[in-house]
Amino acid sequence: MWSLTRSYFIIIPLIFLVACSHKENKPVENGIISSKDSSKIKAPGKNENPYVIFDVSPMDMSYYPADYPKLKMAKAVSTLPMARVVYSRPHLQGRQLFNNLLKYGEPWRLGANESTELDIYSDANIQDKKIKAGRYVLYCIPQPDNWTIIINSNIDSWGLHPDSTKDIARFIIPVKQTANHLEYFTMIFEKTSTGAELLMAWDNLEARLPLKF
Amino acid sequence: MRRLFIIIITVALSTGLRAQTGGMPPLDKSPMDMSYYPANYPVQKIQDKITEPLVARIIYSRPQKSGRVIFGGLVKFGEVWRMGANEATEIEFYKHVKTGGKKIARGRYTLYALVNESSWTIIINKETDTWGSFKYDTKKDVVRVEVPVQKTDAIIESLAMMFEKTNSGCNLTIAWDNTKVSLPVTF
Repeated sequence: MWSLTRSYFIIIPLIFLVACSHKENKPVENGIISSKDSSKIKAPGKNENPYVIFDVSPMDMSYYPADYPKLKMAKAVSTLPMARVVYSRPHLQGRQLFNNLLKYGEPWRLGANESTELDIYSDANIQDKKIKAGRYVLYCIPQPDNWTIIINSNIDSWGLHPDSTKDIARFIIPVKQTANHLEYFTMIFEKTSTGAELLMAWDNLEARLPLKF
Repeated sequence: MRRLFIIIITVALSTGLRAQTGGMPPLDKSPMDMSYYPANYPVQKIQDKITEPLVARIIYSRPQKSGRVIFGGLVKFGEVWRMGANEATEIEFYKHVKTGGKKIARGRYTLYALVNESSWTIIINKETDTWGSFKYDTKKDVVRVEVPVQKTDAIIESLAMMFEKTNSGCNLTIAWDNTKVSLPVTF
């Protein structure tokens, strides 16, 4: 076994290397940003991609267990993942969340462009309600003190105007202020003693939806 | 031993990056994107303008050329390429389709490509929810389809994938740098 201490001598300089190069990375590459409807801010730069536009609110994916694909690659897991979220990541660009972007009491798509998708690989429980394995759309109705997270069955849809007749369940969860301001909307799963929490964070707010498996 | 070391580095790197964003994952250098067939199906769906049923969707990450020679350079000829970045490129069929003369059952699959100068072999593989092509297992292949390489008019900076309608179904078109290929899918 290689000692962990020895590994750190190599790893730590590497972290700095990557961390520094990342800072120079500009997230937006192309000229006109969107035939999609994320943020219609025109970025300076190169030509538009003639095939598929490079989106200003790029898509991302989070698994539970976290980093499941990497664990699978390393053969560190043998079971299926439990959950996955596929969402787009709008960013603040100087705006304030509840000043220019979202309104209390109105549906928010928890993302941009395509509807935010929650994949549950094996039956889960949320606030004592069973959610069967399957694919769902997630959206939110924010209030100052809490968010209502809605699980909806209108999958493969666009995030605007969620169809509430296809709601499956609604969960009210607290929202809290954070010390940091987060530029990009972020969703990740974090392990808890009974399962996981889906953490949703943007600007100076975060909310957690607890899932039991 | 080497494998363990790679895992430690991977975890350490992601931890290092997260330190800059208050513990949250940073924006990917190669952001993810999604394409449907029919194109723009999600928009059609909310506007009640669906013209034909949902057939396929691809989720992939979009690396950029950034001045590099891609095919024959970054992507070596004769090697299996993950056709994306980060999480393995995922293709989902919502109904049975055919490609390469073979019936593909509805479901989720991973896509790879074996890239050569004048043709690519597109590989549809059963191992899903994985990372890149580092653990690519030929035993899990569903079909391999050889398709000719075409040259693009312009240089494509970011890897792009889209479905285009054909008489018998659609083509999955994959374009990057000065190269594109089309995988015919019938249904």
